[in-house]
Amino acid sequence: MKKIIEVKNLTKEYKNLKAVDNLSFEVYQGEILGLLGPNGSGKSTTINSILSLLNFSNGSIKIFGSEMNPDSYEIKKNIGVVFQDVALFEELTAYENIDYFCGLYIKDKKIRQKYIEDAIELVGLNDFKKFYPKQLSGGLLRRLNIACGIAHKPKLIFLDEPTVAVDPQSRNNILDGIKKLRDNGATIIYTTHYMEEVEILCNRVIIIDKGKVLASGTLDELKALSLIEEKISIEVNDLDLKYIEEIKQFRNVDEVVYDDNHLIISYEKGKNNIIKLIDYLKDKNITYNNLYVMRPTLNDVFLSLTGKELRD
Amino acid sequence: MIVFKTFLKILNKNKFIIIMYTAILIFFGGMNMSTNDKSTNFVTSKPDVLIINNDEDIGITKNLIDYIKSNSNIIDIKNDEDAINDALFYRDVNYIIYIPTNFRSYFLENKNPQIEIKTTGDYQASLAEMMLERYLKVANIYNSILDNEDDIIESINNTLSKEVKAEITSKLDTDSLSKVTLFYNFSNYSILAGCVYVICLILSSFKDEKIRKRTIISSTNYKKINRNLLISNSLFALILWFFYVILSLVLLGDIMFSIHGLICIINSFIFTICALTLAFLLANLINSKDAINGIVNVVALGSSFLCGAFVPMEWLPDSVIKIAHFLPSYWYIKTNELLKTMEIFNFDTMKPIIINMAVIILFSIGFIIITNYFSRKKQKFA
Repeated sequence: MKKIIEVKNLTKEYKNLKAVDNLSFEVYQGEILGLLGPNGSGKSTTINSILSLLNFSNGSIKIFGSEMNPDSYEIKKNIGVVFQDVALFEELTAYENIDYFCGLYIKDKKIRQKYIEDAIELVGLNDFKKFYPKQLSGGLLRRLNIACGIAHKPKLIFLDEPTVAVDPQSRNNILDGIKKLRDNGATIIYTTHYMEEVEILCNRVIIIDKGKVLASGTLDELKALSLIEEKISIEVNDLDLKYIEEIKQFRNVDEVVYDDNHLIISYEKGKNNIIKLIDYLKDKNITYNNLYVMRPTLNDVFLSLTGKELRD
Repeated sequence: MIVFKTFLKILNKNKFIIIMYTAILIFFGGMNMSTNDKSTNFVTSKPDVLIINNDEDIGITKNLIDYIKSNSNIIDIKNDEDAINDALFYRDVNYIIYIPTNFRSYFLENKNPQIEIKTTGDYQASLAEMMLERYLKVANIYNSILDNEDDIIESINNTLSKEVKAEITSKLDTDSLSKVTLFYNFSNYSILAGCVYVICLILSSFKDEKIRKRTIISSTNYKKINRNLLISNSLFALILWFFYVILSLVLLGDIMFSIHGLICIINSFIFTICALTLAFLLANLINSKDAINGIVNVVALGSSFLCGAFVPMEWLPDSVIKIAHFLPSYWYIKTNELLKTMEIFNFDTMKPIIINMAVIILFSIGFIIITNYFSRKKQKFA
């Protein structure tokens, strides 16, 4: 597959702090790459370095096969960026805002008009074209922010936490829009700390912490790194403490948590864990509801790799 | 083009507040001019005088009183020392003349009677004093050569009634020039407020950190965007200046086509450039749109008051004038004030005006250098 971005040994230092430490990765054409990491892990610094918004101490960055620097206007033509912070002119309507940002890339007015309409359609802002940013809700603002970043139909799109503080309807709309962008052939780098979104959208994930790549690969490859094989959740009312202690002694059990009448048992490895558990509950005459099995999440992977939660 | 288009859209969005601002400025400017500064005209002035006569109201005493009455405003205050002192303190009267008992007889006998006076010490009191001294000097001369009181009085009246006809040879239309000065002094506030308000408003939108970041990563050269912004804002300042020039032509008429008017226009153009550079500097320094109104008041209103845009410079205390030297408005207004009474135009008379304009240009260069310094400091992301 064609490499769209090639980052080699990227290092960014702030006095005594290494924000990015010898980071290397590639992004391939047509994929959605999830950049996952807790706050302060170096995600934004990495993106800002790739976009030449930051000088970096060491390393090299190639986009579309060419060295990226602040004056690489030919490369920039094919890049779209949606930052976490909403960047809009308060004095312009939704349509005028998209027109301005699209106009920085597309000079032809007719083409631009078509592109703006497409962007509005993509994020579902048809009814709000003439609205000023102050008249839009948080979710609609985010959608407008995205439209401004992608209206010029870039081949490479950076989305930095685009769904922060967004209502469920807008979130779904945004996620659908991102899928459409991918289907139209764009390569996307998606930064977030919402694991569910990464699992829905991303083909490949890079987990970053303290400026270093902890792991990278497809979701399945990453989940294979987790110490947890599966989790079983059972709703049990007033479970006696002695039973919890007995369950902890089962083979392959890593952790048992009983909270709010929910018993969650994490298993490291092994097969038929659920059958053994049901047999035990029958044997002890323990009544239960809603028993289900969960696959390990990316948070479990992160926990296994770092010993801390993604959102810590 | 997209930058200029967006510039116009933002300007259009704020058109009501800009029009309102301009209308208020024109209204107050008109009011200011209608007060009609007469400081360059000659007007007859009569001091307020109180006469306390302790002599009989006949002969030379009566003649003295009549003379004073005809050349001053006689104030009627009861003969009470407290009331008289209060009247002096509150400037109800400028000069008090105490005519002593037996003034007439002592005068005719050449005993040189002493007239006591009380004065506020201001220029009106000086006028009254000059009037009294003039009468007494003339009276003493005729008293020494004539014997008959009636002859003395007649001679005094003949002498004092002679008027010297003074003709002002200057061809300056002082009334119109005063209006020109008032208009252009007031435009110090209008131009400063207009430039600072609009340019800060526009640039605070474009220079917003988030929008700037998004613009930098675009395929349009950021320097080109900055250049377009500079041209757009300069064009606005030019239109604003042109508007005030046209307004001055409409309101002041022919006088604006004189050399005085031309220099005022050139002076205001140089000042507009300076206001533009100052607005760029302030736009670089402020981070919030909410601060713009406050900045306009401090910069435009403050410097207008300190530098004599609203009140004549000669009324301002020396300490204020000293501070005003550090503001471009002072040099701009100083030129307008000089032009008000300037009749001959040659290198010597124009030299102070050229220096004033040069100082304004130096201020502009200073503002550009400081703006560049802060701009570069801001652009250093890392």
